[in-house]
Amino acid sequence: MVTLGSYLFLSFALFVAGLAVIIARKNIIAMLLGIELMLNAAALNFVAYTRFVNSNIDGHIMALFIIVIAAAEAAVGLAIVIRFFQLRESIHIDDAAQLQN
Amino acid sequence: MDYTISSIAPIVLLPFFAFAINAFIVKRFTKLAVFISCAAILGSFGFAYNIFCDFMTVYSADYHIHKTFNWFNLSHGNLNFKVDMGIYIDNMSAVMLLMVTGAASLIHIFSTYYMKEDVRYGRFFVYLSLFTSAMLGLVLSDNLLSVFIFWELMGFCSYSLIGFYYEKEGAGNASIKAFMTTRVGDVFFLFGILAIWSIVGNVTFVDIYKTIAAGGFDGAMALGIPLATVAAFSIFMGTVGKSAQVPLQVWLPDAMWGPTPCSALIHAATMVAAGVYLSLRCYPLMEVGNLTTAIAYIGGITAFGAATIALVQTDIKAVLAYSTISQLGYMVLGVGVGSYNAAFMHLITHAVFKACLFLSAGSVIHSLHDHHTHGHVQEMPRMGGLRKKMPYTFIAMLLCTFAIAGVPLFSGFVSKDRILGDALLAAGYSKSFIIPAALGFGGALLTAFYMFRMMFLTFFGEPRDKELYDHTKEEKISWNRNVPLLILAVFTLGVFYSGSLTGQKIVKVFPKDSIEWFKTLIVEPKVEKFQNYQSEPFAWTDTRNKTRFERTKYDPTYGLPQEEYDHVHHVHLIGAGMSVLIVILGVGMAAMMYLLRLWNPGWWVNTFARFYRALQNKYYFDDMYVKGLIKKGLLPLNNLLAAIDMGIYDRYAIDGWQYVVRKIYLVSKWFDNIMVDTVAVDGTGASVRLMNIVLRTLQSGRVQFYFIIIIFLLTFSSYIFNQNF
Repeated sequence: MVTLGSYLFLSFALFVAGLAVIIARKNIIAMLLGIELMLNAAALNFVAYTRFVNSNIDGHIMALFIIVIAAAEAAVGLAIVIRFFQLRESIHIDDAAQLQN
Repeated sequence: MDYTISSIAPIVLLPFFAFAINAFIVKRFTKLAVFISCAAILGSFGFAYNIFCDFMTVYSADYHIHKTFNWFNLSHGNLNFKVDMGIYIDNMSAVMLLMVTGAASLIHIFSTYYMKEDVRYGRFFVYLSLFTSAMLGLVLSDNLLSVFIFWELMGFCSYSLIGFYYEKEGAGNASIKAFMTTRVGDVFFLFGILAIWSIVGNVTFVDIYKTIAAGGFDGAMALGIPLATVAAFSIFMGTVGKSAQVPLQVWLPDAMWGPTPCSALIHAATMVAAGVYLSLRCYPLMEVGNLTTAIAYIGGITAFGAATIALVQTDIKAVLAYSTISQLGYMVLGVGVGSYNAAFMHLITHAVFKACLFLSAGSVIHSLHDHHTHGHVQEMPRMGGLRKKMPYTFIAMLLCTFAIAGVPLFSGFVSKDRILGDALLAAGYSKSFIIPAALGFGGALLTAFYMFRMMFLTFFGEPRDKELYDHTKEEKISWNRNVPLLILAVFTLGVFYSGSLTGQKIVKVFPKDSIEWFKTLIVEPKVEKFQNYQSEPFAWTDTRNKTRFERTKYDPTYGLPQEEYDHVHHVHLIGAGMSVLIVILGVGMAAMMYLLRLWNPGWWVNTFARFYRALQNKYYFDDMYVKGLIKKGLLPLNNLLAAIDMGIYDRYAIDGWQYVVRKIYLVSKWFDNIMVDTVAVDGTGASVRLMNIVLRTLQSGRVQFYFIIIIFLLTFSSYIFNQNF
């Protein structure tokens, strides 16, 4: 029996995995991947709630928006990473620490 | 005549503007300044003469002009505090105006002769102008407050003119003495104004009369004394100070340090008479306050006492000064015995003949120049036989001496005899007036004696200082030396004031009614008359129908029943007879002693040595004030106050503050160092630096560290919010 709790647990697992990636990994591209995971966790939440709580398609629409925003975000993020690599010859996140102190 | 502001105000303002202009130009344009002063006072005289003529045309005892304007108004809610200023001219003011402006004009003209060689020739006229304008303002005043203002202005001018020769120490001391002595009376006067204000709520003469008529003073008490008595006494003390009555008479003889024309104007004709004028204006108040007996005593004692002192004076001006005090005593006696009209008549006649006497004395003094000391001679023992050298001065002075001594047909006899007759009448009604009346008659005897003594010593006999006599120039008649004297001397004839020439019906020389204008027009203010009385706004042109005022007819019985009038007339006849006898006796004694030299004055001096010494020391009044009151009373009080001031106030209140301030200083220094500097100022820096370390640590620039903080905060806040909601 697949319940709302199962979906929410999966979503939580995905979100924590994404967060762990963002915090732990020093590679910027890996961090972008972690962001994608978190966005998908949120999209999964929307779809699950709309399936189990009320029966309209608002959640699906939100999921579609999130997919679009994730695509756009990935494109912008990758562009920043490329520019950053051109400047620093590195994609290590600790090299982007000019604003410290 | 329609009275507007432009027909009344110039009387006061012309001399005042002359003063204001001259005060600036006097040093560079002395002659112009003198001319302006004289022109201003003559202009004033013109306006005053105009008013006088108008009053004579209407010829009504009730005719008056009263115009007021609001000076300031501090009324708020129930609190009523409003002061009106204004002018009040009745017959008395009109006569007074003519006298003051006339005498002042002649004295101004005489001063151009007398002060000509003085180094401060112009400054003298500046003071004279200010004085004249103050005196005229006083005469025009309709309320006690403006009277007081002008009163003080005159006091200041008197002070300045007594100390005019300030190089001499005596003059400076005399000016201070005069100012301080009159100040005693003035403080009482101010107190009296306040007492009146507390009942009347106003200080206008008319309102005071109205309140008296309405019985406003009945039952009002202050410290257990009727308030009317307090007010009347206080105002009368102002008179005592200004008119040099006992016990404040000490300043007037010293006032002779001033130039002689100023003595004539201020200390004989006008300022000292202003005190009596005030008493006359407040006459109903004096009656309500039951003060008339006391006033009569003061007047009688002054009239007699000052006359006795005048007997032994050798300075010609000192004789005149004491005779002034004595004559002012007669006026006050007249106020006291209820002889309102005669007191005022004596004021006017005295002003004329005493101004003339002073000017004549000035003329004599100015001619006698001592070549050894380069000063003028005032001592009568060095004069004698001067009538050959200065005949015109002699004639003027002789006429005035006749007047003051009370020779029949002269003005002094008319007015003085009427006062003495009324005093005799009052003595007949009430025993308490016997002493003032007797003192009055005794003073008249002495007056005749010492005035003729002065005349004989100055103008008759052989010159006692031959060198001085030979150096004196023959007098030639000149417009500014002799003409003023002769004009004033003409007005000492009794015919200008009364037709009876002795004050009595039976001895009427000119039996025309119109010649009795003085007695007809100047009547005692009956308070009932003022009850339905309205003043006019100042800017309003007076277009009243003059026929409203009925022409007053001369009533020889003064409205008394025939029987009573016969008694009055009888008493007055006795008084007149006594006066004539007294004059003959006084002049005869003087002639025996100083003209014929049959009696030796030295015998009198030796026989009454103690009395003579008392007279020489002016009854020890000065000693009493200086040694008694000042040294024993005021000086210890002063020392006590100084000790309190220095020992207690200075030591504890002033130096005590130093201790307190030092303690406050220590506390505030600690507070400043610790609290403000260390905690507040340095503490701000330290806390900022501390926060800097914290915040800099947080701002690591590592994105993942920020993430951790965000997650931590989100977790923490979601926990907090879950707790609360």
